[in-house]
Amino acid sequence: MLPAIRDGSSLNQALDLGYRQVLVERGSLLAMLGPLVSAARQGIAIFVNLDGVEGLAGDSAALAFLATDLGFSGVLSVKPHLLRDASRFRLRTVQRIHALDSTGLETGLNSIVSPAPYAIAIAPAVAVPQVMPTIRLTTMAPVWGTGFVTSAAQAKEVLLAGADVVASSRPDVWLDFIRIPVRG
Amino acid sequence: MATRIVVPPARIGAVDGSVTRLLDAFSRVPVAAVVSRAEELPRALTSQVPVVFFLRPPAFHLGPLVWAVQARGKLAFVHIDLIAGLGKDRAGIAFLAREIGVNGIITSHSALVAAAKAERVIAMQRLLLHDDLAVPSALAALEHARPDIVEVLPGVIFPLVVDRIRARVPLPIIVGGFMTEPEQRNAALERGAVAISTGTTSLWP
Repeated sequence: MLPAIRDGSSLNQALDLGYRQVLVERGSLLAMLGPLVSAARQGIAIFVNLDGVEGLAGDSAALAFLATDLGFSGVLSVKPHLLRDASRFRLRTVQRIHALDSTGLETGLNSIVSPAPYAIAIAPAVAVPQVMPTIRLTTMAPVWGTGFVTSAAQAKEVLLAGADVVASSRPDVWLDFIRIPVRG
Repeated sequence: MATRIVVPPARIGAVDGSVTRLLDAFSRVPVAAVVSRAEELPRALTSQVPVVFFLRPPAFHLGPLVWAVQARGKLAFVHIDLIAGLGKDRAGIAFLAREIGVNGIITSHSALVAAAKAERVIAMQRLLLHDDLAVPSALAALEHARPDIVEVLPGVIFPLVVDRIRARVPLPIIVGGFMTEPEQRNAALERGAVAISTGTTSLWP
């Protein structure tokens, strides 16, 4: 389970529950810089959705800042050129692919970058059970599911369908996920 | 199917762009055939499906495909965001409406919805639901653009958001995206969709 956060207070909620990795999904990255940097210093893995956060340009300077100045772990984006650039800064690259219909999924899978991404992120996560067979025809990369995960039971379904990581923006799901053992 | 450039007939004013006809057609057969390759068209033409969505064919080879659909008494929609070769702007919409004579245009962009309405073709706005955090802004865009009809994707999300959409915008809804099983079609129709859109030929009656 990867808590998707959007501000300092949701970051603290995730850390208080004991999570050691977070996804900055929305909001102004610059407004929560302080808490994020101190978390990164304590060994928390921080991933940033470059398509969702505000305050960063989509260029090399922004990636260098995340990797070198802040010590973040990785980035997510739908944009192949950003991911290629990010891998130069030794950021882990997660390619976001929208699973809205089969035509769009095909386009997304055809755009998978080289070097191979660290993982691919399927949005919405709840489509993962339907699209996993198609994905596996193209890539064996680890699959993350993001978007529309509104219960721990749903998160479990996504993982059982073969996802390696599932993200949710709901603190109640983060809590239930810890309480209820979802993986045998 | 071979496509070639054909000089379009004078069609201005000849095409029915009324949403009433679309809804009538869906009340008889609630399925739109999604055609992303020209080879899939013959199967759609011989089916009972009253509406064909073109997703991918190059814009400047579209004419014969659209006219073949209309010759069968079906309605032809073109996805302007996805077709190759055409500007995603007013001039692009005007080309599809006036030169090709499409019945309707599918887009996820509010500005193109307005342009389609100005050209008096049916404006179908796609609601792309990949993330729950994006729902409020997507609904605000929909409320602002006021398309004739909404297409919600992917199908698996529809039951989760249908009440929120209805509370905000009282528009007819088509459900599309990974609709491959009859059960999915039935579930969408039971929850109030006027039709489903699918490229799965076994769901084309």
